[in-house]
Amino acid sequence: MAIKLLLEKAHVQGIRTYEVYRREGGYTALEKALKEMSPEAIVEELKKSGMRGRGGAGFPTGMKWSFIAKPEGVPRHLVCNADESEPGTFKDRYLMEFLPHLLIEGLIISSFALGSNATYIYIRGEYAWIPDILEEAIRDAKAAGFLGKNILGTGFDCEIYVQRGAGAYICGEETALIESLEGKRGNPRIKPPFPAIKGVWDRPTVVNNVETLAALVPIIKMGGEEYAKIGIGRSTGTKLISACGNLNKPGVYEIDMTISVEEFIYSDEYCGGIPNGKRLKACIPGGSSVPILPANLLLKTAKGETRYMNYESLSDGGFASGSMMGSGGFIVLDEDQCVVKHTLTLARFYRHESCGQCSPCREGTGWMEKILKNIETGKGKMSDIDLLWDIQRRIEGNTICPLGDAAAWPVAAAIRHFRDEFEWHITNPQEAQIRNFGLAHYADPIHVPVTA
Amino acid sequence: MKFSEDKLAKVSEIIARYPKGKQKSALLPLLHLAQEEFGGWLSADTMDYVAELLSITPIEVYEVATFYSMYNLKPVGKYMFEVCQTGPCMVRGCDDIIAYITEKLGIKPGETTADGLFTLKTVECLGACGYAPMMQLGKFYREHLSKQRVDEIIEECRNKAALNN
Repeated sequence: MAIKLLLEKAHVQGIRTYEVYRREGGYTALEKALKEMSPEAIVEELKKSGMRGRGGAGFPTGMKWSFIAKPEGVPRHLVCNADESEPGTFKDRYLMEFLPHLLIEGLIISSFALGSNATYIYIRGEYAWIPDILEEAIRDAKAAGFLGKNILGTGFDCEIYVQRGAGAYICGEETALIESLEGKRGNPRIKPPFPAIKGVWDRPTVVNNVETLAALVPIIKMGGEEYAKIGIGRSTGTKLISACGNLNKPGVYEIDMTISVEEFIYSDEYCGGIPNGKRLKACIPGGSSVPILPANLLLKTAKGETRYMNYESLSDGGFASGSMMGSGGFIVLDEDQCVVKHTLTLARFYRHESCGQCSPCREGTGWMEKILKNIETGKGKMSDIDLLWDIQRRIEGNTICPLGDAAAWPVAAAIRHFRDEFEWHITNPQEAQIRNFGLAHYADPIHVPVTA
Repeated sequence: MKFSEDKLAKVSEIIARYPKGKQKSALLPLLHLAQEEFGGWLSADTMDYVAELLSITPIEVYEVATFYSMYNLKPVGKYMFEVCQTGPCMVRGCDDIIAYITEKLGIKPGETTADGLFTLKTVECLGACGYAPMMQLGKFYREHLSKQRVDEIIEECRNKAALNN
């Protein structure tokens, strides 16, 4: 049975309410943190846990916290990034909807550790019903004395506020989120200065993902060292994976990062395989911006080793033959799916979401969408494939924020691994309107060169 | 144009969440509130009113209202079907759902029915990929859409509209 640290109680009747959450051991991590530990000791436990940020970049959270500036007399802020918008990702929504108190408890502990007296949850605007759930949890936590003035007699004051975004993927980028929280367009800022020095209202700010902050609860409960024993290598603890696409049981799963990709897709404990006996063609394992992999490279690495659901194994082989853990948005495509069309929808997504500040991204994303649309609708030229490659190369690394990279990578990986499917669309424009390229050779075993 | 006393109290409560002098931070929440209150979209007058409430210039409101996709700058139908069309929803057949709504209501994405009841809009990923195909309808999501579910939703909206008239 898999270890569950976040979703362990998700199915307890009424866990959304304060009474049930408390009865099930809720807010004991908070009591331990505030009564028995100093803020520095909490940061220390977090460092020991080795937890990496769960929003997508995978940066060690303890280290991020240790960068926060503490100038005399300047308030600091913690901001919870609940702007979950990466296609394929819907795990934070699950946590907030079903376990709101887990997030609130994690937020109070984190606010105490960072010295934030006013903490903000920035949630994507479309999750319009969730602020009500969170605000109820905040009210109940406050009534129980876990928020407000002088919490548990420690002298620490804290309020949590929920702010809704209004439909902009870019606001998941931390500096764009801060701009948006200040009531502006979500244009990312040039770094440095980093938010830890100058964030919201020019004050030192830490921005962390929902899942990251919720994980503070088990880390404090069990201690950083115990938490680090779960998982493998630098993939410590548990990770939420949101699985979607052609799966029998799409949904949100908590894994301990030691299971194989094959087990995750096919076992009944997780996704339960692919419907209608179809075969696996491709998968984007970590949210739409990470490289797509054909079935053969997904289940095994280029070296012929089993691929596992963790940071290191998913990126084994680099971008040449690997992908990334990213946000844990796991998108599965079966043999009937068209990689060209799927890539087109992602290109359209990034064009729509580009904030328009940097010309490589503003112009490049639209250009890529247009070319992909031509190829998909039978109007492509063979030279378009190299042109696409060229455009994505010129976007990557040439923009203020990572949206440029996020738009470039899916196109690059689709061409890298599925070039013959693109070529087939161009050489068979009529046929490509009626049927898809199919599975082709994408699940065939890969030849592994034997080295002496 | 003016918020009710109730809503004005809510406005003060929202502004109080931010440090003194940083009331502009309340802009996004206030635009949501104004859109709900004043007919489902943001007219220039509405935006000017919000600017006045926050003591900021109207241009500061316009530049924000035009940036975010949830603010409607033109009138929309009473019920807006915002159907997700990004990769994971495409894989689960959102194109068929969009085509079916178009056929059923006689409107293409971006259009509103003549009776002003329905608007169809295609949107990018709403974070419900595991429950695809899906759409946003007002405050909530409608997931696992099928043609039958779409029929039921249209019926439900028509009934609600009839009750309110």
